Amino acid sequence: MDCARTRQLAQAYVDRELDVASSLALEEHLAACGDCRAHHEALRRVCAAVSSNIGFEPAPAGLRQRIAKEVCAQARCEPAWWQRPAAWLAAPAALLLAFATLFAVLGYQQLAGAGEERIVYHINESTNPATALRNLANHIESSPDLKAVVVAHNKGVDFLLAGARDAESGELFESGVAQLRARGVDFRVCGNTLARRAIDPRQVIPEARLVPSGIAEIGRLQTREHYAYMRL
Amino acid sequence: MADDGKCRRFERLIVPHLDAAYDLARWLTRDALAAEEIVQEAYLRAYRFFDSFHGEEGRAWVLAIVRNTCFSMLDKEPPAGRFETFDEIAHSGAFDPMPSAEDAALARESAAQVRDAVAALPLEFRETVVLRELHGLSYREIAVVTDAPIGTVMSRLARGRLLLAKALGGPPDQDKE
Repeated sequence: MDCARTRQLAQAYVDRELDVASSLALEEHLAACGDCRAHHEALRRVCAAVSSNIGFEPAPAGLRQRIAKEVCAQARCEPAWWQRPAAWLAAPAALLLAFATLFAVLGYQQLAGAGEERIVYHINESTNPATALRNLANHIESSPDLKAVVVAHNKGVDFLLAGARDAESGELFESGVAQLRARGVDFRVCGNTLARRAIDPRQVIPEARLVPSGIAEIGRLQTREHYAYMRL
Repeated sequence: MADDGKCRRFERLIVPHLDAAYDLARWLTRDALAAEEIVQEAYLRAYRFFDSFHGEEGRAWVLAIVRNTCFSMLDKEPPAGRFETFDEIAHSGAFDPMPSAEDAALARESAAQVRDAVAALPLEFRETVVLRELHGLSYREIAVVTDAPIGTVMSRLARGRLLLAKALGGPPDQDKE
């Protein structure tokens, strides 16, 4: 295999989309050719930089529930099978109705994730963010299915701004936040706070997202989505 | 009975890809709130059209709906999937030499910098790179989601990575620490 062909196929090889025979020929060429090896290494590094530095963004818990609700509403809108006269004639109706109800309830519960532990953590000026992140990590450790939402408000938003560091350890908060984010913790920042303190929303790290009002968000989560409240 | 079966099948094949759907919508729109709306609408559309889905692997199918919903809700034209021959791709600059491993010490490799670099990619490269690197889709699956021939997927991926290598290997960004 020559250099030009090697460059053309390098990507498919890195992506494991190349057939075995071509892969072997390519490896043979790489072993012999320093230039192609350097090209190949550079390509690998870019791929690794992307896949290892960017976490997958999980959907917010509220979204899952809204979709479950809407899909179920839509499913109910269509004529349910037991309402069609033919079904009554075809089978012992009461039994089937009971099963259908059971399935519908089970289905809805699975879709809506009923019965899970949901906590909204309030972070404000009286919170030490480093301690809060540590406590949060411990909580997830002992309750892996925990649905955790962190709402930061007032001075509490500071640790979610780009470049924010822990005053004691000097460590960037972002890596700790990213780790929790990867484990499903949802960080939300109060938009009113940013406006009042004239903080550019672009300063908020990408792991967190903006909500119009932190207080309203906490209220909504507690009343509409049945989250328990915890002050960190 | 049909409805109940449909609901359960939807739950088994489509609901588990909700995180992927949301993540893709975020990358396409670069807007978390818009992404939520798009995914919600996309899932309702998916349920409506679910009778026409006969496979067992729902990920590419639902991601394609998410992508279409993104473009229709944002009132944008999706990037056209033009068929390119391998020779055209080879001469398009897609296989230009990467910055060498030493030059591209990938000076800026922190999570935020990589994320910014991906977010700054033109849409057709961004979606292809995200589907490959974050979602781990095969070329064939990416072709289904982005409605483009496999050759186009490969050249977009190559060009996207080349742009990333340049962005990350370049001189450090003054704004960042």
